[in-house]
Amino acid sequence: MTETIDQHQEGKRDVTFRVFRFNPQVDSKPYFDDYTISAERGITVLRSLNYIKEHVDATLSFRAFCQAGICGSCGMRVNGISKLACTSQVWDELDKCREPGIIRVEPLRSLPMIKDLIVDMDPLVDKMTRYSNWVDSTMPLAEMGKKEFLISEEEFQQYDKATDCILCASCVSECSILRANKEYVSPAVLLKSYRMNVDSRDGIHDIRLAELVKDHGVWDCTHCYRCQESCVKSIPIMEAIHAIREDALESRGPRDTSGAKHAEAFMEDIEKKGKLVEATLPIRTNGVVWTLRNLLPMAMKMIVKRRTPPPPPLVKSAKGIKVFRAMFREMTEHVKQDHLKSQKK
Amino acid sequence: MKPFDIVIVGGGGAGLYAAMEAMKTNPALNIAVLSKVYPNRSHTSAAQGGANAALANKAKDDSVEMHIFDTIKGSDYLADQDAVDVLCSEAPKIIRELENIGTPWSRMEDNTIAQRPFGGAGRPRCCYCADKTGHTILQTLYEQCLRKGVLFFNEYFALNLSVNGSRSKGLIAMNMKTGKVEAFPAKTVIFATGGYAKMYWNRSSNAAGNTGDGQAIAYRAGIPMKDMEFVQFHPTGLRKSGLLVTEGARGEGGYLINKDGERFMARYAKEKMELGPRDLVSRSIETEILEGRGFDSPAGKYIHLDLRHLGADLIKSRLPQIREMTLNFEGVDPIEEPIPIRPTAHYSMGGIDTDNFGRTVMDGVYAAGECACVSVHGANRLGGNSLLDILVFGRIAGHTAAEEAGKFEPGSISEEELKENVEEIRTRMQPSGHYERYGALREELGQTLALNVGIFRESSLLHKGIEDIAELKERFKKVRVFDSSDVFNTNLQQVLELQNMLDLAETVAVGALAREESRGSHTRIDFPVRDDEKWHKHTLATLVDGKATPGEKPVTMGRYELQERTY
Ligand SMILES: Cc1cc2nc3c(=O)[nH]c(=O)nc-3n(C[C@H](O)[C@H](O)[C@H](O)COP(=O)(O)OP(=O)(O)OC[C@H]3O[C@@H](n4cnc5c(N)ncnc54)[C@H](O)[C@@H]3O)c2cc1C
Ligand code: SF4
Ligand code: SF4
Ligand code: FES
Repeated sequence: MTETIDQHQEGKRDVTFRVFRFNPQVDSKPYFDDYTISAERGITVLRSLNYIKEHVDATLSFRAFCQAGICGSCGMRVNGISKLACTSQVWDELDKCREPGIIRVEPLRSLPMIKDLIVDMDPLVDKMTRYSNWVDSTMPLAEMGKKEFLISEEEFQQYDKATDCILCASCVSECSILRANKEYVSPAVLLKSYRMNVDSRDGIHDIRLAELVKDHGVWDCTHCYRCQESCVKSIPIMEAIHAIREDALESRGPRDTSGAKHAEAFMEDIEKKGKLVEATLPIRTNGVVWTLRNLLPMAMKMIVKRRTPPPPPLVKSAKGIKVFRAMFREMTEHVKQDHLKSQKK
Repeated sequence: MKPFDIVIVGGGGAGLYAAMEAMKTNPALNIAVLSKVYPNRSHTSAAQGGANAALANKAKDDSVEMHIFDTIKGSDYLADQDAVDVLCSEAPKIIRELENIGTPWSRMEDNTIAQRPFGGAGRPRCCYCADKTGHTILQTLYEQCLRKGVLFFNEYFALNLSVNGSRSKGLIAMNMKTGKVEAFPAKTVIFATGGYAKMYWNRSSNAAGNTGDGQAIAYRAGIPMKDMEFVQFHPTGLRKSGLLVTEGARGEGGYLINKDGERFMARYAKEKMELGPRDLVSRSIETEILEGRGFDSPAGKYIHLDLRHLGADLIKSRLPQIREMTLNFEGVDPIEEPIPIRPTAHYSMGGIDTDNFGRTVMDGVYAAGECACVSVHGANRLGGNSLLDILVFGRIAGHTAAEEAGKFEPGSISEEELKENVEEIRTRMQPSGHYERYGALREELGQTLALNVGIFRESSLLHKGIEDIAELKERFKKVRVFDSSDVFNTNLQQVLELQNMLDLAETVAVGALAREESRGSHTRIDFPVRDDEKWHKHTLATLVDGKATPGEKPVTMGRYELQERTY
C-alpha cells in the first residue's frame, strides 16, 4: 500500500502504537495492544491507524471521516492529550512519548465507551439540546428569506471564533469537572451557548441563560483552563465562560448559585475594605488555588461597572493578607462542598 | 418499527434542509433522518469558499439572470436551463433564510452579507463566512433540526432500498452501534448521501465516506444514474492524501515547477500562468507528469508547488492555513520546501437522475444534493454553486416528499428481506481459503480510475479502466471481513462502501467511453472538441442484468443558445 507508510524513503522511523482496546461483546475490561510499524516523515497518527487497520489488525476500531481536521470525528488521546488524530504528526508525537518510541493512543474521556477508540457522542448532543444551542430567530416566519438582519462587523467578531468549533469533544475529554460530574454542561456547550447568547438575531437569551445558571451549569466551571489549552481550533473558550458569568451576574444578579453568592459577598467585602487590586496579588503569587482565579476577576469587573472609585493601595500589613487568606479558604471549601454534593447525586 | 412518512438518508446540507422543509410543510408527518456519521461531520463542512446568490450586496448590478447565464455557460451548456432557473432564482431567498436562522455570514461595511468573486462568475456573488462557509451552514442547519426535534438515527448505515415492483417500501439500514440490520418502512425515501469522488481514493479531496452509497443503493434498485462521467478535478491536491491546497497559494504568487525546474505553465497559459482556470491547470499538470517531467515517489508522481520565493513573512501572514495544512498532512513546511502536489478528484457532477422536484423514476424515491443530478451543473460545476444546489434542491425535495407522501401506501418490509441483507453480510464474515484485502482493492480502484478514467481519457485507456473495474469486482467477491464484532464494525462498513464504489465506478467508466466528445470536465484525447450534434444530451446508466446499460436523455434548453465556452 503506497498511501501510508513509504518504505523507500530515507528518514523513516520505527514506531510502536500502544492502542487502547475494548470490545464490549467479548472483553470484560480494556487492555492495550502494541503495533509496531515504520513511519516516514509527514505521516499522521490517523494514517498510521489506517495502515494498521488495513495491514495488521482489521478489528481495530476508530472514527475518521474528512481526514483534514474539519469534521471533528477523530478526536482521541494521543500520548495522554486529547486531540485530532488526523492533524497529529507521528514524528512530532515521538518527541512527546513517555516511553521512548511508544505512542499511546486512547479514547476520549468523560464520554461513554463504545469500542476501542470510539466513544458515544450522544450525551454531548443531548446537552446541546438542553441548553438550546441554536438561534431562535426573532424574524417573523412570514418574513423569512425576504430580508437580512443587518449585523455589524463588531457583532460578527464576537462569535466568529466560537463558530470554529467542530464538536470534536477534545475539550470535553480534558475538562476536570466533567470527569467528576458527567452532568456538567461541558466546555463546548458553554462555548456554543455563549455564541448564541451574543447573537442579536436570537430571541431566547434569557431562557438559555436561566438554564446555564442552574446546577451543573456555568458556575460549576473551575477555571482550570484545560479546555482552552486543548482546543484543537485554539478557541478562547474561557472568554466565553467569563462572558456568560458576567452576563448572568449583570442580568440576573447574584441570586443563582452559591458560587455567585460568594462572589457577591466577597466583592462587597472588598468594596467595604477598599483594598482590591493589589490586595489580591500576594495571594495569587502565594497560590491560593483556583477559587481566586475563579471568582476574583468577575468581582473586579462588577466593581468597575458600578463605577466604584479605584481602591487605595494595599496596606502592606501581614494581618490584611491573613484576613484575605482566611476568606478565600472558606470560599474554596464552599465551592468544593458543592462539587462533592453534585458528584454524590 | 412504525412506518415513516419520510425517511431521509444523509445528514449533510441537502438532507438537513429537506428535513426542515418537510416538517414545515406538514408538521404532522413522521420523519426520520439517517446518517452514517453525526450530521455535523458530513462533508458539507469541508466547503470553504462559499455559496453563490445574486444578492447584489457587493456588485449592485448583479442579477439572477446573470447568475443563470454564468451557470449555463460554466456547465458547457449541458445543464437543464429550467433547473438552473430554479437554482438561481431561489438563491437569494435561501441565503437570506439561512441568515435569518443564524448562519454567521461575514459582513460588508453596510452590515449586509459579504460577497466575493469566484471562478466563472461575472460578478462577485459568492456569499461566505471566512473560510468555513460549509461548516457554518451545516452547523446552523443541524442546530435548527435539533431545535425542531427532528428524529435522528445517527451512525446508521443505509444498505438497500426495499422495492416492490415500481415502488419503494422503505429502507434497510444497519445500526452501527449494535450491528443490527433494521427496517425503515416508509412512504417516501429521500437520498441525500453526497458525492462519489472518493472512488479515486488517494487521488481525491473528499472525505473517506464520500463513497456514493445512496447512488449505489438507488442504482441497484434499478434507478438510472445520469452524467456519471463528469468528475471535476482540482489542480492542487497533496500528493499523499489528495487533500486540497486552496487556490490562495497560487493567488499569492506560488509557482508550479516540474522536475526540470521549469515554470511549465508558460507552455499552456502564457499570460495567466499559474492563475489559469482550474481545468486548464489540472490538464497542464497532468500533461507534465504524463510526459515524464514529474517527480517520482512511492506515493506516485507529482510536481512542485513552490512558495519559497514569497518569503517566510508573507507565507506566515497571508497563507497560514495552507502552511498549517501542509505541515499537518504532508510534514512539509512551504517556507523551506516546495509542496508536492497533483490534481485531485473533487466533485461529482453526475448522480441519481431526478426531475426539478427531486423525484426519481421510482415512486416514492427522491434525491437531492451532490448525490443527485437534476442537472444544474452539467459538464462542469462552478465554485459556490454546489452549496447552493444542496440547499435549494434539498428544500425542494423535502417539500415534494411531504406533499406527496399521502399518495403512497406505507410499505411493509418482511423479516425474510431483512434476513437476506443479514445473510449477505454474514457470508463475508465466513473464513475461506484464498481471500482479498479490501484495502488493496480500494487503492487499486483509485489508481486505475486516476490513470484510465482521470483527467485525460481515451478509448483504449477507458477500455482498460472498464476491464480493471470488472476484475476488481470479481476479486471483491473474495474480500473478507475480519472483524466479527457486532459493535461498530468499521471493517464491515468499509467493505460495503468499497462495494458501492465498485458498482458506481463502472457507470463512470462506461459513460466516459460512450461520450465521444470533450465537454467541461470530460476530456477525450481522441475526441478533443465538443460535439453538440451528437452529444448535446445527458447520458444515463441503468443496471440491467448486473451490467451498466447506457441510455440518454435530452437537455432542456431555454433562453440561451449553444455557444462556444471561452473565458
Ligand atoms: C474540499 C471541498 C471544498 C468544497 N468547497 C465548496 C465551496 O466552496 N462551495 C461549494 O458550493 N461547494 C463546495 N464543495 C462541494 C460541496 O461541499 C458538496 O458538494 C456538498 O457539501 C455536498 O452536500 P450534500 O448534502 O449533498 O452531501 P454531504 O454533505 O456529503 O452529506 C452526505 C450525508 O449522507 C450521509 N450518508 C452517506 N452515505 C450514507 C449511508 N450509506 N447511510 C447513511 N448515511 C449516509 C453522510 O453521513 C452525510 O451525512 C467542496 C467540496 C470539497 C470536497
Ligand atoms: S475551565 Fe471549566 S470548562 Fe474548562 S476544563 Fe476547566 S472546568 Fe472544564
Ligand atoms: S471547543 Fe475546541 S476542543 Fe472543544 S469541541 Fe470545539 S473544537 Fe473541539
Ligand atoms: S477525520 Fe475529520 S477531523 Fe480528523
